[in-house]
Amino acid sequence: MSPPGRARGWGRLGDRWVTVGVLALFGAAWVAVTRSGWVNDLFLPGPGLLWDGFVDLVENGYKSRSLWEHGALSLKRVLLGFATGAAVGTLLGLAMGYNRKIEAFFDPLVEFFRPLPQLAYLVLLIVWFGIGDRAQIVLLFLTALPVSSVAAMDGVKSVSIQRVQAARSLGASGWQVFRHVVFPSALPEIFTGARLAIGVVYATLIAAEIIAGSTGLGWMILDAGRFLRSEYVFVGIVLLGLLGLLLDRLLLGIELRVVHWAGRD
Amino acid sequence: MDLTRRSFLRLTAAAAGGTLAVRGRAARAAAPEKINVAFFLETKPTMIAKGEGWFEEMTKARISWSEAGSGAEINTGMAAGSFDFGLAIGSSPTAAGISQNIPYQLIGMVDNIGPAEDMIVRKAANIKSPADFKGKKVATPFGSTSHFRLLGFLRTNRLTEKDVTVLDMKPDAEVAAWQRGDIDAAYVWSPAKAKMLEAGGVRFPTSKALDAAGYVIADLIVVRTAFAQQYPDAVVGFLRAYRKALELWKTKPAEAAAIVAKQAGVAPEVAKSEMEEYDFVPFDAQLSPTWLGTPGTPGKFTEVLKRTADFLVEQKSIRSAPALAAFQKATNTTYLQQAARG
Repeated sequence: MSPPGRARGWGRLGDRWVTVGVLALFGAAWVAVTRSGWVNDLFLPGPGLLWDGFVDLVENGYKSRSLWEHGALSLKRVLLGFATGAAVGTLLGLAMGYNRKIEAFFDPLVEFFRPLPQLAYLVLLIVWFGIGDRAQIVLLFLTALPVSSVAAMDGVKSVSIQRVQAARSLGASGWQVFRHVVFPSALPEIFTGARLAIGVVYATLIAAEIIAGSTGLGWMILDAGRFLRSEYVFVGIVLLGLLGLLLDRLLLGIELRVVHWAGRD
Repeated sequence: MDLTRRSFLRLTAAAAGGTLAVRGRAARAAAPEKINVAFFLETKPTMIAKGEGWFEEMTKARISWSEAGSGAEINTGMAAGSFDFGLAIGSSPTAAGISQNIPYQLIGMVDNIGPAEDMIVRKAANIKSPADFKGKKVATPFGSTSHFRLLGFLRTNRLTEKDVTVLDMKPDAEVAAWQRGDIDAAYVWSPAKAKMLEAGGVRFPTSKALDAAGYVIADLIVVRTAFAQQYPDAVVGFLRAYRKALELWKTKPAEAAAIVAKQAGVAPEVAKSEMEEYDFVPFDAQLSPTWLGTPGTPGKFTEVLKRTADFLVEQKSIRSAPALAAFQKATNTTYLQQAARG
């Protein structure tokens, strides 16, 4: 291996150590602060209490459902909301990027929806879609859609005009240009949009699960918080965090496989 | 001017000392500068005292009002020291708060909820007896007094959450779901309750039997302990302001309802009919053995709090409940006694 490569390897190893160090530091501070009794258990439960809470949740579940059921239901909602929202959003964004008329038609709607806080139309969603999983998934769908569509639109718009003209001059049809030039060029941005979308869908999960609860990790955190059961809240947060990290890594993995050429123009 | 580092430090220290001295003097004064009150926007006589500025007048302090969404929020704010008073917090969050050592005291009652929170069932759901609830969907805001009563209803009728689907919904969401026909029943208070009664709902009275079985629910006044120790006069003044409002409601209900209606943003008739559902316990009765009792002789209501806390432990809502003595210790009727007198 060449010396620069090795240097990079060492650099990476160093970075790892920084990460480990920071985690260890946080852990030590956590233990110190909770052991010393400086903070009330209600604000920050100690590691022992957190572990007990976790074991209790694993063994007995939370309010008539097991922890895994809550997790699986949340995951189902996130994946369905994300998949439908990102798919429709991406198609819409591609169309908007490719055709100005379509953009003029949909852009105000997308731009109106994008910054709207979900809590604002929560009750409307119940009125329209009822209290089942449907209203929750629709909420997540509506969250993912604008993010994905804006990303896809930007992706299409950033395709260099020279490439399109080159393809045209070689006799490519409109569809061929889209299929072989525009779409692949927009893919990296579409993936970035997807990762952003899953982030916001994930963040909206708690809002979705308030709709008519009693299931899901988001609801569990909310309900435990009502009685300041901070050990359950922390367990829920850690699980949500890990699950989110996993989903993001998964998307990143797919991205690296599909658009391995990104950024190497 | 030649300000060396050391002299600068000395100067700052002197300034800080000065501030401390000033603060120390203020701490001993009878009236606080500002009182933080968490309240619910509701149709109750408390709103008269708020609207007419009686709380400010009788505590001799500026009041910063924060509207709370639930008793749990009041507990959290009290734990963080952001609220001094919790106005009309429900008995189940209060029992939870005392169990979790939230540093506050129960100093008075607003109402005995009685039938004001009760079960409403959809006529079409054809629910005639408790057994008919099997397989039905019932909504209630979790963590509330209504939720506590609903669970008490299931328990006393040998139903479990496997037989009945209990959904956690805020009152406005319940109304929305009700209108679509997604829920068969709800345990809730007005205005949601009144709206459901208008839209094909009927009462399924449970409150009398549940009160008799020990599932009494009430709305209470709590004060942060450290605040009460520092400003006992303000605490008495606060209760006096409420007493004045309560007396107005008892003597001139129409006038009282008009003020409440304006505060809550509803029609005067609505305010009046909603207020008539509650039993606003007079101060003398609060000091009787039935409710809070007097200093040294705690009333029966402390036992209700203890039972409520035990129930919440069974529900895994709180980790543990202390002995009855802890609830008696957290109930301080000295301020109430003074406020009832003068």
